[in-house]
Amino acid sequence: MTSLPLFPAIFTDMAGSGLIIILSALSLRYAYLLTRRDPDNFLWGFLFYFCITLTIFSISRAVGHLVKQMLLIGGQGELWNELSPFSGGLNTLLMISLSAVIVFYHKGVEGYQAIRRKALSLKEANERLNEAADQLRKMNLHLEERVEARTAELSASEQKFRHFFSNSKDMVYFCNAENRLVNMNRSGLEMLGYSVDNPPTLGLVDLFLHEEDLEQYFNSILRDGFVRDQEVEFVKKDGSVLYVHLSANGVFDEDGEFTGCEGIAKDLTRVKLMMGQLAGSEKMASVGQMAAGVAHEINTPLGVILGYAQLMMDDFGPETEERQNLEIIERQTKACRKIVADLLKFSRQSESAREQLSLNEVIRDVLAVTEHTLNMNHITVHRHLTPDLPLVIGDSEKLRQVFVNFINNAHHAMEEKGGGDLFLETRSLPESGEVEVMVRDTGHGIPEKIRAQIFDPFFTTKSVGKGTGLGLSVSYGIIQEQGGRIEVESLAASEAQGPELPGTAFHVYLPVLPADLTSELTL
Amino acid sequence: MTCFKKVAPGLCWLKSMISLVILLPGLVMLFPVQAWALQTHGPPEAIIVHQMAHVFYLGALVYLFWDLRRTATRGRGWRMLQIFCVLMMAWNVLAFIGHLSTLAMQSTDFSHEFGYLSSMMLGPFSAIKLVHYFTRLDHLILVPALLILFLSLRSLYRSSEEGEEL
Repeated sequence: MTSLPLFPAIFTDMAGSGLIIILSALSLRYAYLLTRRDPDNFLWGFLFYFCITLTIFSISRAVGHLVKQMLLIGGQGELWNELSPFSGGLNTLLMISLSAVIVFYHKGVEGYQAIRRKALSLKEANERLNEAADQLRKMNLHLEERVEARTAELSASEQKFRHFFSNSKDMVYFCNAENRLVNMNRSGLEMLGYSVDNPPTLGLVDLFLHEEDLEQYFNSILRDGFVRDQEVEFVKKDGSVLYVHLSANGVFDEDGEFTGCEGIAKDLTRVKLMMGQLAGSEKMASVGQMAAGVAHEINTPLGVILGYAQLMMDDFGPETEERQNLEIIERQTKACRKIVADLLKFSRQSESAREQLSLNEVIRDVLAVTEHTLNMNHITVHRHLTPDLPLVIGDSEKLRQVFVNFINNAHHAMEEKGGGDLFLETRSLPESGEVEVMVRDTGHGIPEKIRAQIFDPFFTTKSVGKGTGLGLSVSYGIIQEQGGRIEVESLAASEAQGPELPGTAFHVYLPVLPADLTSELTL
Repeated sequence: MTCFKKVAPGLCWLKSMISLVILLPGLVMLFPVQAWALQTHGPPEAIIVHQMAHVFYLGALVYLFWDLRRTATRGRGWRMLQIFCVLMMAWNVLAFIGHLSTLAMQSTDFSHEFGYLSSMMLGPFSAIKLVHYFTRLDHLILVPALLILFLSLRSLYRSSEEGEEL
């Protein structure tokens, strides 16, 4: 082969130039569409500028090649030689521009991608933040529900304890670190006699009657943290004593410092009284047993003495000295027998009748006998007898003896003062099912130190010969036998202060006859 | 020139400029030399600049290819863009060689005796002549390269239409 045709190269050059223009234009179109679809995408922007430059370069080069081929085919080689530097220079310029676009724009792409990564990272962080916020919101919502539920529980609990605090029948109190009472319930204030609406400012030191009790209270609180079952005496507003059974807890902060105390005190005054009464009852019961034994033992010899004395009286004339001595023996023996009989009544060894009776009638009977004597001694009798008083069951004879004893004692108490007033009252107590009879005098009263002994057999403050000391003992025994009780209120002359007058009041309580028994007994 | 006193920076710079303007005419008159204001550009410069542009273009494509391989290898469109880069690099090399081989060609190596379309490359054929002949068929690489570019952009467009990760 000596030569090669250049036609293939010429054809390829011309056809290729045309295709290059078409393909670069199509590429530019898609790059443009990409930028239209997502104008903020820097990658599409890079491809678009790259395609613009490439298309310009391709058109420039292809047109140059086509013009060249056309001119050379047309025999205008000289003209092409003149145009060729311009075409080549433009192609060079565009090729450099294309290279610059690739390098510089692609560096921009790197920056864009870095920003995009950051943006994605920020977006993810934002999403996580939103998720966290959502979770937080849910938790917050849940928290609100929990807070509401907890608040309701606390409210119910507070209401429960407030109810307990307000309605407790015992004293409930709270004190601060200075032992000042910061809160006390209604019962406590009422027990102490203070106004509920305007509670006073008090300290524990104002409440405790005895300093040693307060000292023991604090020692126990600080040592053990609590006080259990301490019996103390509080001072009421009027100065009287309130017996309480106290339990308390100390309140301490995180550092163990004492910040206050809280306590509950139960009123023991009534229990104390009942205990005293019970002790008295037991004492009286034992004394009664002893008295009954003594009475039985003495009764027999007394009977023998009386019998022999009466037999011997028949052996002597009426005016003889022996006969007079025997009469003295007989009289004194009978007195002894009466004492023995009284002792048996006290010890409830004697027989009692059981009949329905009206205490108003009993009182009237007693006054019918005693009022004259009382009036003679300047004692005025005041009757306050409740009409339609319920009936009671008892022995009317013995009950008359009881009230005679009370009236005699009143008589003697007022006789020394030269007179006074005697009040007799009867009233019904439906709530306790009892009838009360009160016998009150304005005498000298009973001193507190002997008040517990007045029902003891043979205890008397009267001079010798004026009383045996069995009157109240017998009365006590009779009332006990009838199922009732006796209470005494007395203010001795030495204890009376201000407008208070001395005197003694005996309250006799007897059970009312039940309605069904009333009808049976009536029939 | 240094301002030894403590003055404002702007004032110091103004004083320096005034001193230079005053001294410049004296320096020019005292030390005159021959000055070439413009540099002439001979004929080889065009082909050298053109070849340098090919090298620059090749370098830019290598960089783009490397960067695409490094970052955007996922998706058909990006893979085709890499192929475009490779083809364009090959075209640049071919064009560079073609321009060099043109320089080695003589007018006696071609015959236009029967018109331009019937031009012939005359023998005997050396390697450089054969290389030159084949480099004149560079559109056989350039056209597929642009076709691949077109397909690549179309693929990217369609992918973006489908909302794929690019």
